[in-house]
Amino acid sequence: MNTSGLNLLIGLAMGLNLLALGSGRVSSLIRAVSFQGMALGAMPFLLSHEFSPWVTLVAIATMVGKGWVIPLLLGRAMRAAHIEREIDPLIGFVPSLLLGAGGTIAAIALARSLPLRPEHAGTLLVPGAVASILTGFILLIGRNKALSQVCGYLILENGIYLFGLLLIHATPLLVEAGILLDVTVGVFVIGIIVDRIQRAFDTLDTRKLTVLRE
Amino acid sequence: MIGALLLFATVALGLGALAGRWSSRPWLLLTLAATAALAAAGLAVGTGLAPDWDWRSAFTLGGQPLHLRLDGLSALFLVLLAGVGAAGTAYAFAYPIHTHSSDHGAPARGRFWWNGLLFHLGFVLVNANGLHFLIGWELFTVCAYFLIVLDRRKWAVRQAGWLYLAASHAGTVALFAFFALLASATGSWDLGPLRTRTELAPLFWLALFGFGLKAGLFPLHVWLPSAHANAPGHVSALLSGVAIKMGVYGLLRFSGWLPVPASAGWVVLGLGALGTFAGIVFALVQTDLKRLLAYCSVENIGIILIGLGAALLAPLTADGAWGRLALAGALLHTWNHGFAKALLFLGAGAVAHATGTREMTRLGGLWRGMPVTTLTFLVGAASMAGLPPLAGFAGEWLIYLGLFEAVVGHGPAGWAAGPAVMALALAGALALATFIKAGGLVFLGTPRSPAVAGARDPGGWMRGPLIALAVLVMLLGLVPFAAAPLLARAAGAWRPLAEGVTASAPPLATLARFHLLLAAVLLAGGVVLWRRTRAQGVTLGPTWDCGYAQPSRRMHYTAGGFSGTIGGWFTWFLRPARSLRRPHGPFPDRAFTREDPRETVLEDLVRPTGAGVLRISTAVRRLQHGRLQSYILYILIGVGALGLIVLFHGGRS
Repeated sequence: MNTSGLNLLIGLAMGLNLLALGSGRVSSLIRAVSFQGMALGAMPFLLSHEFSPWVTLVAIATMVGKGWVIPLLLGRAMRAAHIEREIDPLIGFVPSLLLGAGGTIAAIALARSLPLRPEHAGTLLVPGAVASILTGFILLIGRNKALSQVCGYLILENGIYLFGLLLIHATPLLVEAGILLDVTVGVFVIGIIVDRIQRAFDTLDTRKLTVLRE
Repeated sequence: MIGALLLFATVALGLGALAGRWSSRPWLLLTLAATAALAAAGLAVGTGLAPDWDWRSAFTLGGQPLHLRLDGLSALFLVLLAGVGAAGTAYAFAYPIHTHSSDHGAPARGRFWWNGLLFHLGFVLVNANGLHFLIGWELFTVCAYFLIVLDRRKWAVRQAGWLYLAASHAGTVALFAFFALLASATGSWDLGPLRTRTELAPLFWLALFGFGLKAGLFPLHVWLPSAHANAPGHVSALLSGVAIKMGVYGLLRFSGWLPVPASAGWVVLGLGALGTFAGIVFALVQTDLKRLLAYCSVENIGIILIGLGAALLAPLTADGAWGRLALAGALLHTWNHGFAKALLFLGAGAVAHATGTREMTRLGGLWRGMPVTTLTFLVGAASMAGLPPLAGFAGEWLIYLGLFEAVVGHGPAGWAAGPAVMALALAGALALATFIKAGGLVFLGTPRSPAVAGARDPGGWMRGPLIALAVLVMLLGLVPFAAAPLLARAAGAWRPLAEGVTASAPPLATLARFHLLLAAVLLAGGVVLWRRTRAQGVTLGPTWDCGYAQPSRRMHYTAGGFSGTIGGWFTWFLRPARSLRRPHGPFPDRAFTREDPRETVLEDLVRPTGAGVLRISTAVRRLQHGRLQSYILYILIGVGALGLIVLFHGGRS
């Protein structure tokens, strides 16, 4: 297992988290998610000891799906729905970044206190996963536009995927495949919903959708 | 035999309910036949002619097999139900609800719900399955609600009905918890004696709340005055005579079947004494005739609970026979109050119907136009005030005797009995003042308006129940020992005990001799007076007029003025609404003073509490605003909290 390479990729993903939090345009947010997806897709290569066609297939599928197909879909949705390029945040960029940074530090501290297996203790897998989940939540909570929230959801899924990598030796890659499917379906569904909301209400601003609360 | 009677009553009530939709005469016959069957069944079991009836069926209702039983205690209440039910049925036959409200469907609706109420009251009484008990309890509450709001076009009536329904549900919540916990502890919904399961004792507090609320136990009586005041006469009679006694029945039943906490007797005795005192003080200052009667019911429930509390305390002392005596008094008083209060409510209904008002200040001088109503009402009032030789005194006397013995026997129970006797005596005096006020202001003096002057006695179907109930109240006073076998069976069914079961018979026989003697003396005095007035003739003239040349009816005592002095002693407690405009200047124009009784417990205790709860829940409701982001934040906080719990306590769970 290539620990330093893995940690490099996870560090990159954590940096992309902060970039996602700090980006003021939807397209740069989508790009951050896309790069993070590619970094995550490359990880199974580093984790497995010998070459296996199945792992290679899944890794390539993940990279293509997370890094290319989904961002492409999001970009098309953005253009189709005529969404403003500027992100209108509920929690400002600086507070978001501070929260994200605090969350990352807390995630590292938390990972130290968790009873991990020795082979995982040296990697950033657990802190990276927790930090990504927190970042996803911050994006979900702190952004008004549905498309930014979809990106938050994707980062959240990436965090869960990182957790899933912990089990790569214990369970078959079916788990990862399932997660991948999950993300695809999630994006698919959200894409449809976004489209429908856009047609029905002429807006994607979730602040204007509160009448459905009852 | 018992089963056949009850089945007949059920069928007759059901057919009556159906027939009552179209026609009133078949309904009257069927319902009267049903009450007769109920009375026969109750009397047969109560007097010991028939053994206790216990019937289990394979037929299931809500997943539970039907289990009915009629023992001495149920029989006592069943006879009360049959008596008041029959009187109310005959009265309802002639009571024209629609003349006031132009709601022509009201009588038919009233007949349907009336039969429903009678049936479910009886069903609760003979039930021995917790689930069915709850079903019957809830359905009788609903039937009573529809009867209260029979005159539904009036805002006050709907308001009273809503309050009744809301309060009843608060009580039912406690009963749900009670029966469900009981069923989960015993593993079965079947009810029966479980006196050895001491771990069930704390359930008594739930029962006390649930049944106490229905009984109108002070301070849970808040629904009672407005519901009784706004219902039609016969409905008030059944509510006050029987429905609130169901709370007493529940308390008796489950304090007899289940173990009770050691402090239960003290609490029940204390609440009873408080209710007796508070009920009668509130009754005294009322200006609405039916509200006065309703608060008097609160007082009498207090008296009954004093008897029950003494019975619960007695086993703690060495010589517990006095508790049996007090219990017999409570049971007898249940009957006496049920019949006498039904009589009074029927009379008040007749007055309200004939004059169109319940305000005592607007009534007066009804004895000329309504002699039958006046006489029967005064019999009921004297009985309620606890005057010998009428029924009201007999039950109270047994309770007094029991409490006196407790005081004489010293010990801790004596300390409780002493204040209870004082509360009872104080309430007796105030009750006398209350009923002098009610009788005097409404029936004596001169009419205060043309409508009141033209009021006449109601028709035969409404007079009949009044006369029958008045005779019954007199009989129960003159020969109270006739009820002794029923009391003995009921006390035996409450908690089986070898000795002291017939403790009430000798005192009642003594009382009967005294009552008969007193009645003979009163009768002789009456005859002598009548003969002398016949011989000498009567000249009518004004009473002493304090120097006023022309006394007018505006100089009558008002309802508030009559009770002003005594009410003034309890202002701290009653907190009446006062408005005052003083005369100003050398030539004052308008000046007035006005004092109205308030629903003090409801307005100063229940309403603020309810408003506080509402404020909190409105604040909590702000969490539900429809913003997706915050919902996700809730999830995050929830997950985070779960994580922290697992992190810090996970290893120790």
